[in-house]
Amino acid sequence: MDAQVLLSCVWAFLACVGFGLIYNIHGWGNLICGFGSALGWLVYQGCIAMETGDISAAFLAAVVIGTYAECMARIRRCPVTSYLQVALLPLVPGAGVYYAMRYCVDGMTNLFLSTLLHTFGIAAALSVGAMLTSSVLRALLPRVHWGGRPPR
Amino acid sequence: MDYDNLLNLGTELGCRLMASGAEIYRVEESVGRLMAAYGLSPQVFALPNCLIVSITTPEGHPVTRMCRIPAHGTDIELLERCNALCRSLCRTPLPVEEAQAQVDDLEICRTFSPCITLLGYVSSAAFFALFFAGDLWDALCAALCGLAVGGCLLFGRRITGSNLFFRTLVCSAIMSSLAALLVQAEVGHNLEAVTIGTLMLLVPGMALTNAMREIMAGDIFSGLNRTAEVILTATAIALGNALPLMAGRM
Repeated sequence: MDAQVLLSCVWAFLACVGFGLIYNIHGWGNLICGFGSALGWLVYQGCIAMETGDISAAFLAAVVIGTYAECMARIRRCPVTSYLQVALLPLVPGAGVYYAMRYCVDGMTNLFLSTLLHTFGIAAALSVGAMLTSSVLRALLPRVHWGGRPPR
Repeated sequence: MDYDNLLNLGTELGCRLMASGAEIYRVEESVGRLMAAYGLSPQVFALPNCLIVSITTPEGHPVTRMCRIPAHGTDIELLERCNALCRSLCRTPLPVEEAQAQVDDLEICRTFSPCITLLGYVSSAAFFALFFAGDLWDALCAALCGLAVGGCLLFGRRITGSNLFFRTLVCSAIMSSLAALLVQAEVGHNLEAVTIGTLMLLVPGMALTNAMREIMAGDIFSGLNRTAEVILTATAIALGNALPLMAGRM
């Protein structure tokens, strides 16, 4: 793992902590979300380095983030939404959506269609990864939690 | 028990949840559980801008309330408080008046001051520019662009109006002209990194992923609704980006 990758994880962490402020996340929760994003990006880069292709890399990263978010939601006993929302940020295909519409406005239909489909592919991989983990974990660990009653 | 007030309670809690950016299934499930805790079997249906709750009283009288959800952002603090309140009410159903007072208290929710939120815009734009392989000067440019976008979104509502398409178009036009100017003045070097870093604030990547998640979860109507919104926002960004380029050519 070279320094470049680790550095980009640090940038992802800081950028997502900034986003946490916009999303009105207070205190430790914000740092936990930022850490999730760095973790997800690290996994994504690891998968890319092993040449899995970016859609499966996005899927695997979403699985890891989903697991992390579900565990944190159970430990801190609050909804999983915040962790997922912020931790997926470096992976979401924002640039893809932008480039696709950019090609569309410029009239490059072929590039537009291929970029758009690829963007949809990544978004679908991320959402399937996150949904799959949360359903599996919800079935596997219905009673695992720290103190008090189980979260619903 | 006063079923009208109970219905109001459930609908208002659902509205707050929805306005805080919760997923459709979470809203439907929360309202459903809350009503079930008071011994009813409700029918709940939610769309991104509409919530319908219908109950049948034990006397067999049906009551329905519909609530339109205004355009909203994401407010995790409010979401966590609504969720906690819903859980505690499900565990120990309070009398409806007390519960209603607690739901009204949700209004007083701690938020960051506009300065801190602006700092959030600035820092995430700067660090995303670094993330997309820019150098420190690019990060500085992106921070300035982020400041412009954040200022527009937070304080410029009177000028840009509340229309999502127009607001996004104005923000992206301002931001891309500023980025082009800064790179032209050789403050930054990598126009791509500055633009994409700042655009992460506007671009609906997260919204697209959420739309996909909703489709996978079975709320196809909401998912398609959100997908259309994503494409509209992305078009606004691309158009806003093209404007300064056209102006430059002229």
